[in-house]
Amino acid sequence: MVGRSEMQEKKQIVKSARSILKNYLVLVMIAFLVLITAIVEPKFLSGSNLVNIMRQFGPLVMVSLGMTFVIIGGFIDLSVAGTINLVAVVTISLIQPLGQVPALLIGLLLGIVCGALNSVLILTSGALTQAEALFLTFGMSTIYSAFALLYSHGSTMHFWDISASKSIFEAIGSGNIGFFSVSFVLFLIFLGILWIFQSKTAEGRAIYLTGGNKTAARLSGIGIYRSIVEIYVICGFMAAVGAIVLFSRITTAAPVIGAGYETSAILAVVVGGTTLKGGNGSVLRTVMGVLLVVLISNCLDLLGVSSYMQYAVKGAILMLAIWLDNRKQA
Amino acid sequence: MSQSGIITSIYKALTKQKALIALLAMMIGMLFSKTNFYSAYNILDMLNSSSILMILAYGVTFTIISGGCDLSIGGNLVVAGILAIKLLDVMPMWLAVMIAILFGAVVGFVNGFLVVHQKTEPFIITLGMGLLLTGIAQQLTDAHPLPAKNPDFMMISNGDFHGIPNLVIIMLTCLAISFWIMRYTQFGRNLYAIGGDYEVARYSGIDVIRTKWMGFVLSGIAASLAGVLLSSKLNTGSPVYGETTALVVNCGVVVGGTSFAGGIGGIPQSGLGLLVFGMLDNVMNMLGITSYYQVLLKGVAIVTIIWLDCFANKRKREAV
Repeated sequence: MVGRSEMQEKKQIVKSARSILKNYLVLVMIAFLVLITAIVEPKFLSGSNLVNIMRQFGPLVMVSLGMTFVIIGGFIDLSVAGTINLVAVVTISLIQPLGQVPALLIGLLLGIVCGALNSVLILTSGALTQAEALFLTFGMSTIYSAFALLYSHGSTMHFWDISASKSIFEAIGSGNIGFFSVSFVLFLIFLGILWIFQSKTAEGRAIYLTGGNKTAARLSGIGIYRSIVEIYVICGFMAAVGAIVLFSRITTAAPVIGAGYETSAILAVVVGGTTLKGGNGSVLRTVMGVLLVVLISNCLDLLGVSSYMQYAVKGAILMLAIWLDNRKQA
Repeated sequence: MSQSGIITSIYKALTKQKALIALLAMMIGMLFSKTNFYSAYNILDMLNSSSILMILAYGVTFTIISGGCDLSIGGNLVVAGILAIKLLDVMPMWLAVMIAILFGAVVGFVNGFLVVHQKTEPFIITLGMGLLLTGIAQQLTDAHPLPAKNPDFMMISNGDFHGIPNLVIIMLTCLAISFWIMRYTQFGRNLYAIGGDYEVARYSGIDVIRTKWMGFVLSGIAASLAGVLLSSKLNTGSPVYGETTALVVNCGVVVGGTSFAGGIGGIPQSGLGLLVFGMLDNVMNMLGITSYYQVLLKGVAIVTIIWLDCFANKRKREAV
């Protein structure tokens, strides 16, 4: 009898270890990656590299946080690349004539407008599936990118051409508060706000229900249309924030600056563990996903892997994460 | 059939076929322009330049009809093209082309394993596969275009047969073969059934997993064939064409009228959908529209057609 209960206990332990591995696979992968890189390349843990990681983290995490809501709501948004392009070139060009505060506000407003436009298209066409939203937003991304090209005439704009004060952008790009970079502090602030919105407000909970089952949500009196507008506006706004963080860091804005961000953001959200079916997930999980994606780039850089191979590794990790996630559900 | 019956059926066919309306609108519009749009040279040129995308579309249609989709075709296209050019140095041409196409089949097989056998989300898995393959393509070429050394290889796509470009002939052959598979074989009909309702198809004794899996393999084969043709047309292997191709082709298939819900559509429709993009490019070039406005108009066309499609679906849902 005693032996059997011990066996059961052992089984229990193995089982719980497995479930931890399954549920926190991303954390395990991050730990593993950090360990290996730290052993092979001690520079990894140096202060300058940590600051570097924090800076790389900035733009992608902003975009991914917004994307999380869209995916929780059961939709997808490929237009963030176009939104980033448009917001970056418009904002940087307005610093000189209007001053930095109006430029910043107009940039953020533009992000909201782009998001709202997406949601209007989706609502009016009655697109309720992810695939329909995918192609509508792909088309919108093309349109926003075209506006960015037309607005900037295809040229890249630089910080050093601007004689007006641009202290806000310089602070976002390269300033520090204590040990942390300003962009990291901004990230913490947005994360806090979005986390409270997601888990403590009725609006946030409604997004989960919309993503889980649209018909059931509608029949139980939840305004799914309102939720859809909210998710796209949040995504557009966060894409605008991401664009501003991005061009502040690299001090230039080209009309193709956002290319690839839509895939990276979806990758980060999904790797973090928010399922594409909608209805579950969290901004905190997304942060882990982004951390993994950024750490992979950083570790592979330090290990001397070519940037081309990094694409391949990212793709492989994305497929592995989805596959394992799928096995967990089944 | 009475005359009004014919008219209503034409009306119905037209409202179903938004791609056809778009094509007709462009053709009628070009009647009034003073360009040589209606010359045999231009028409052949237009077909020639959209052939490769159309071949991709025929393959993708197999996956979309059965309720999946394939976004890895962009990566598959470039890797197969580069592979063919690399292998040309060490083996005869036919073998290099065969191996490149076999590679595409393997990619399709892996996609099919993950999507159909393991039941994962098709579009994100194939997106990951696309990223993976794009990375491999860049690694293989060091992100530079890779010139082909064999002049015969170039003639596959650039030659012509009594004035008709080879690419158009290959495209039409692919159209005929895939149309036949989709329309007249048990396999093709089973794909429609699976797309229509997976569970019903399973209970009626169709080997759903094998059939749907085979669809992904066909998509991979078509993508690698297109890759070889593209390399031959440009006489170089380049990793840059993979980036938006996948989305454009999948989008074109949906524009043609093949529904993402599965079970609706067909091969010729997909060809028409991609022809809309090809003709749009051609018309815009003819009218001398600058490239940034071309991007804008293309985006507007995509959004409009997909919007109309979604709207029609909504009306259908509400009517039931």
